Amino acid sequence: MTSGTPVVFVVDDDASVLKGLKRLLCSAGFTSETFASATEFLDRYDQNAAGCVILDLAMPDFDGLQMQKALTERGSVLPIIFLTGHGDIATSVQAMKAGAVDFLTKPVTDEALFAAVHTAIQRCQALYRAREETAIIRCRVATLTPREREVLTHLLSGKLNKQIAADLGTVEHTIKVHRARVMQKMQARTFAALVRFAERAGIAATPPAES
Amino acid sequence: MSMNWVEIIWTMMATASLTLGFVHLLVWFEQRSRYASLAFFVITTSVAAFSASELSMMEAQTPAAYASALRWAHVPICMIALSIIAFVHFHFGSGRRWLAYAAAAFRFLTLFLNFTTGENINFEEVTALEHVPLWGGIAAAVPVGSPSLWQIVTQIGNLLLVAFVVDASITLWRRGDPVARRRAALVGGSIVLFIIGVTGLAVFILAGAVRAPTVLTPGFLVIVLAMAYELSWEVIAAAQLAAKLHTSEINLRASEEQFRAVVESVPNAILLVDDAGKVTLTNPQAQALFGYGREELVGRQVELLIPEWYRYAHESHCQSDAADARARLMTIARERYALHKDGSQVPVKLVLRSMRTVDASFVLVSLEDVTEQRQNERTAARQRDEIAHLSRVATLGELSGSLAHEINQPLMGILSNAQAAQRFLARDDVNLDEVREILADIVEDNKRAGEVIKRLRALLKKGEMQKRPLDINSVVDDVVRLTRNDLVNRSVALSTELTPDLPSVFGDQIHLQQVLLNLVMNACEAMESVVKTPQVHIRTRRTDGGVEISVADLGGGIPPGDLERIFAPFVTTKEHGIGLGLSICRTIIDAHGGRLWAENNGEGATVRCAFSLSDHAE
Repeated sequence: MTSGTPVVFVVDDDASVLKGLKRLLCSAGFTSETFASATEFLDRYDQNAAGCVILDLAMPDFDGLQMQKALTERGSVLPIIFLTGHGDIATSVQAMKAGAVDFLTKPVTDEALFAAVHTAIQRCQALYRAREETAIIRCRVATLTPREREVLTHLLSGKLNKQIAADLGTVEHTIKVHRARVMQKMQARTFAALVRFAERAGIAATPPAES
Repeated sequence: MSMNWVEIIWTMMATASLTLGFVHLLVWFEQRSRYASLAFFVITTSVAAFSASELSMMEAQTPAAYASALRWAHVPICMIALSIIAFVHFHFGSGRRWLAYAAAAFRFLTLFLNFTTGENINFEEVTALEHVPLWGGIAAAVPVGSPSLWQIVTQIGNLLLVAFVVDASITLWRRGDPVARRRAALVGGSIVLFIIGVTGLAVFILAGAVRAPTVLTPGFLVIVLAMAYELSWEVIAAAQLAAKLHTSEINLRASEEQFRAVVESVPNAILLVDDAGKVTLTNPQAQALFGYGREELVGRQVELLIPEWYRYAHESHCQSDAADARARLMTIARERYALHKDGSQVPVKLVLRSMRTVDASFVLVSLEDVTEQRQNERTAARQRDEIAHLSRVATLGELSGSLAHEINQPLMGILSNAQAAQRFLARDDVNLDEVREILADIVEDNKRAGEVIKRLRALLKKGEMQKRPLDINSVVDDVVRLTRNDLVNRSVALSTELTPDLPSVFGDQIHLQQVLLNLVMNACEAMESVVKTPQVHIRTRRTDGGVEISVADLGGGIPPGDLERIFAPFVTTKEHGIGLGLSICRTIIDAHGGRLWAENNGEGATVRCAFSLSDHAE
């Protein structure tokens, strides 16, 4: 579902800074899109695109932190690199806490910028990959029968087949068959992998029964 | 030998006459123009001499002695007649000259004939003497003899003299004033009566009709007394006049001294210049101001005191039609510098008053040496500039983040463009057009950064106020640029409403920027945590005879009682303010001849700064 090339979105109210950054990114092979204001960006940006946002902290309409919040609210995972003319510590801490990848002070050198952009794009791509994997796992989970799901939750709590059979009021052999089915449907070769997949899909273990 | 009463009386009359005469001789000595007094003196001595002659006639023992005494008696008579003519002429100031000359001529002729014909003018020969008894057993000699026909000459002379005196008296009488009339009646009358009486008596005596001695001395004494009375009046009047003159002179001198004291004690330097441009009066202050002595200044041309660098303008001014004394000094009035003797130029405050006396016009120049005043003004201006500078630095300190942004933006542009270019150039297929564009952008950004730094440097620079014609709108633009980022950080919306083509204001760009900067910052601070959508509105507009900048906010306004107080030093409404900003702003605007005040606009405060255009001409 992700588009192939990552895009760097640059938001700054200063036209010459925008132009310069676009050229610099271009010179390093990055694809970039520029926006003169936060509003314009929020209205126009490609929500499916992977990449990152380079955001000027001081904007007439939104300040950088407000925009970060707006993006999060829209469910965007685009990492943000803040640019500022005068980085004060309080603002940068706040920005980093809210998930900024980096906080760069103008004027920024190409190495610092590219490093930050690389990191951000990688993080974005990682995020997208993880999201895809989760989606696949969820699809696999969807193929499980209710009984198999039940067995899965019991398995996740680390019970033995015998115990599970006792809990579900059936025989150990039946549990074994279910277990093999679950492993097969979830495409988990080891039990450890199954546990990891289940976690990604947000399936919780059945709490151990009180004896 | 004892004197009889006749001798005593005649001697007394002679003495009295002489005494009066000497008094008036003294008067004449004092006032040589009083010829009447001199004439009177001659009359009195002649009367005294005549009285002696008359006495010897009365006491003559032989006809020959009588004839001789009578002959010699004609000398004083002639002198008396001539003196009367002179007296009337000088004292009355009237009478026909030809009558005077004729009378004098006949009198001389009488004297001549007196000595050349017969025994004297009256007798061919005195043959005998008769003795007529007088009172007290004394007898006076009376001549008997053949009268001379030449006597007619004497009588004509007498008639001419009478005619002259009558004519002079009438003329005087006609002048009408009481003194003249009295004089004409008294002197003229007594002379005329006496001469007519004497002549008549002489005719009778000498004709032998009356046997009596010739007793003329008392009559002469009457004339002398009348004249003396008149002359005394004149002397008294003269004395009164002199006393009056003296009083008025004392008054004059007193007022002159007062005037001098005033002129010399006024704090200002005073010059009085006539319409030829010459200094006619100075005071010690003027001498001190210009460094010249009184005698060096009085009589010199006033151009001496005007610095050369505008003397040319001054002279051309003088050559114009209206080159009167006032115009001659106008250049000083404009330039307000005076030239000291040592060549230095003294700043002066100058007031001119034209004055007109009966026969001349002057210009009174009052100069005040304002060197000290100027120095104080300069010191005050320096202090003001220093405080303004400190306040500017403080303001810029508050704005530092915003200013860093202003500089970093173009630097960012430059750096990214330059590094992009380096990368493009490192490629095999170099797009030179792209690189050219990049370089152009770098130049632009560089200029932009340079502008910001220039503005900052100007604001941070410590310097004197330098006024020049300014476009108020450009001041606003500069301030908007400087504060833009700060306002963004504070989320303040700034709007401007600039009237185009405003007349320029004569002022210092930096100082006015500072004022506006302060006003904008104050507006922002007033709205901090007070309003949700803070707004600042800057407006420039024309007013009646001036230009106005106003800065309005929505910060709730200022309590009416504080509208004026906020401009006082150390008064602040801010938590951390020191309360100098607005006071410095006002000082600056005052130095521009403008006005700075605050008003409430309903939702907040509006601070207005007005400049009147008439001030720029200076």
